[in-house]
Amino acid sequence: MSRLLEVRHLSKTFPGLRALDDVSLSVGAGEIVALVGQNGSGKSTLVKVLAGLHEPDPGSEVALGTGPDGSAVRLHFIHQDLGLVDGLSTIENLDLDRMHGRRSLLPAPRRAERRHAEQLVADFGASFDVTRPIAELSAAERTIVAIARALDGWEHPGNVLVLDEPTAALHGDEVQKLFVAVREVAERGAGVIFISHRLDEVVELADRVVVLRDGRLIADVARGEFDHDELVRLIAGAIDTADTAHGRPEGRDAVLRARRVRGATIRDLDLDLHAGEVVGVSGVLGSGREELASILFGCGAGEVGELLVEGRALRARTPRHAIDAGIAYVPGDRHRQGAVMTMTARENMTLPRMRALRRVLGRLDGGAERAEAQRWFERVKVHPPDPERTLALFSGGNQQKVVLAKWLRNDPKVLLMDEPTQGVDVGAKAGIFELVAGAAAAGAGVLISSSDAKELAVICDRVLVMRDGEVAAEIGKADLSEARLVAAALGRARTNGSRVVGDEARG
Amino acid sequence: MRHVAETNVSAARDDAAASAPAPAAAAPARPVAAPGRLARALSFRNISAVYVFVALFVLFSIWVPDTFLAGDTWRALISSQAVTAMLAIGLVIALSAGAFDLSIGATLGFGHIVVAWLLVERGVPIAPAIALTIVAGAVVGLLNGLLVVRARIDSFIATLGVSSVVLAMIAWISSSQQILGLSNAFQKIGTTEILGLTLPVYLMLGVALVTWYVLECTPIGRHVYATGGNIEAARLAGVRTSAVVVVALVCCGAIAAFSGLLVSSALGTGDPTIGPAYLLPAFSAAFLGSTQFRGGRFNVWGTVLAVYVLATGVKGLQLAGAPIWIPDLFNGVALLLAVGLAKYQGTARRAGAVKRLLRFEKGE
Repeated sequence: MSRLLEVRHLSKTFPGLRALDDVSLSVGAGEIVALVGQNGSGKSTLVKVLAGLHEPDPGSEVALGTGPDGSAVRLHFIHQDLGLVDGLSTIENLDLDRMHGRRSLLPAPRRAERRHAEQLVADFGASFDVTRPIAELSAAERTIVAIARALDGWEHPGNVLVLDEPTAALHGDEVQKLFVAVREVAERGAGVIFISHRLDEVVELADRVVVLRDGRLIADVARGEFDHDELVRLIAGAIDTADTAHGRPEGRDAVLRARRVRGATIRDLDLDLHAGEVVGVSGVLGSGREELASILFGCGAGEVGELLVEGRALRARTPRHAIDAGIAYVPGDRHRQGAVMTMTARENMTLPRMRALRRVLGRLDGGAERAEAQRWFERVKVHPPDPERTLALFSGGNQQKVVLAKWLRNDPKVLLMDEPTQGVDVGAKAGIFELVAGAAAAGAGVLISSSDAKELAVICDRVLVMRDGEVAAEIGKADLSEARLVAAALGRARTNGSRVVGDEARG
Repeated sequence: MRHVAETNVSAARDDAAASAPAPAAAAPARPVAAPGRLARALSFRNISAVYVFVALFVLFSIWVPDTFLAGDTWRALISSQAVTAMLAIGLVIALSAGAFDLSIGATLGFGHIVVAWLLVERGVPIAPAIALTIVAGAVVGLLNGLLVVRARIDSFIATLGVSSVVLAMIAWISSSQQILGLSNAFQKIGTTEILGLTLPVYLMLGVALVTWYVLECTPIGRHVYATGGNIEAARLAGVRTSAVVVVALVCCGAIAAFSGLLVSSALGTGDPTIGPAYLLPAFSAAFLGSTQFRGGRFNVWGTVLAVYVLATGVKGLQLAGAPIWIPDLFNGVALLLAVGLAKYQGTARRAGAVKRLLRFEKGE
């Protein structure tokens, strides 16, 4: 087996942080290497160094092998954000990284390109209009386009494909389709680096697993030498992943009462959220799961017939009114919606409510603000513990903790969360679950919408499973399991399997 | 211990946006950072304009000592740039909220001509004429703001369009003729000298002080910067981003019109052609200013400093006999350098911190 990529003694230092410390690994032809580790363990940094976005520290070495035809191995990246141009169609996106040479001045062969694009998409078992702008496709379809583009046009199969969290937005069926494609690529002789927080996927797919912790390589184990629990232990040291949810008293007052919620897919949904309760929302993409929280908060496209917070009706529906009524919302897209990355962690934390820090002439009490930020940093255990740092310089898990602290600081009555652990590692996940449980114990009603059924099974008191914009099933604490949630979410799709992708296109 | 805590507090205030953490941020070894912060505060990167100013000063002091070092030269320079500085401060408000205002030059010209028209052609007394002029500028800003938040036109395009509309109105009001005969009483606003400097300098400093206070010391300012940083995230954090953008553009327009009024007063005439020439210097100063003090954030004092550094360079070259096109060249190059520098700054700050850290570790 020939070596396609060899990394030796790779280190990368950021201000105040050694992101990678003497990491060595290699990828051979036909090998699928999974890269796992907590947030801030250095995975993203490693990928960025490989991509040439970061200059490694002196003394590091990254060597590329040669392919079967003697040409140098190329690295292809599919990042979390997929790197597609939203305004262009699938055809045009596929065309972007192709070298046309002199032919670039000739008219594009439209019909051939279209057939080619449709063929590539069909290879992944999907069918959608390849002439539609990427922005109109669902997350799953976008992922497929990104992967198709990476695989399209390799001169020889001996290249390395780096997949950074490719399954974050996918549900069961689609993940399987992706895996089939990834294995196919590896069988043709390519090397694959696969990064995922979902350990089940790693166990299922990887030939070898490389575990990073605090920037150091902790383990490099081959298939058969690891299982799910072993990986958790390696990644986190020892973390208790057991139930953090507690039996909560039923029949308490509804802190949030929503009637006739309507959105792009949601149809007349009624919801009661009780004090001290953690309610999950599950369902495949396009089921309405991803809309619900944002509609309740007043920032998503949709309407609510009647919305009561602790019995008081909320009429004007803007985020400001929702916040004043005691609602907090942690959006799924941290970079675009969750936080202002160019401001410091402190400034982000106090943004929703500065009233208590206001002094004469509207002056902001800087000392009090810094002290409060420091307190919250200690409480939610952010690393590094410096609130004056620009938020963009923290790792994903720590950014999410800052976002959570920002809302918990308001003592919310209702806490709405979309994908609260997206791009967050096992260790930080446990920390976030603890904070959520703490908020619920303090009397908040928590609504978590997530594509991660296992996570919902662990932290929720009950889960609403959505299908085609309606609550198809409600599963109580006693019956909660990942399998039940997935089965309930796919209920109708299973009787008519080909509809899954089409449904999402409409969503 | 108390002393250490205070050092940290004040250092944090100076360096709030730069945010570069202490090398040993992971460990609670913060006192080590204090001298580092001071060095950074005085570093070329943080206050490059000050060093550039010193360099220009020395250069021209040697080159054209007789004229450049004359007190009159400096008094004239400070007074003549007060309007540009005030305009740039208005622009800082808009830019901080994430809105480009390309209409400020035209709005300045609008205020300039409107006040002359009101005073001379319509015989309006001075005080109401001033008030109406400021309102006129605010209305232009309001139009900009509504086009941006209601019609959802990108601020770049919206203000470019409004700029053209405003220029047309200037020509209409003035029939493209100079308006002569402004009263002495009105001219006093622009020409009264206090301690050798004209009144506009003090007005500019007043506007700067208020703007600085609101932007940097109040929750309102935090909302403005959050809106400029990420409008969607700011909205979801409860910031009324539409109101922020509109109010920022209204303030920008009002300040631009007031700046134009000061030009009328200083010149004693209303000239329908003066506005657009102020656009580029204001942008140059605002962007160059953003690279000073606050590590990439648009800020008032950096901008005021930048105005005078640019003006010093231009003045020196003029005194040395440089041709008439030098100011345009100088401002244009300065704008490009400033934006380039700001882009470079982000990466350079990290790289610099890493270098210090590596050295620090080797020393241990």
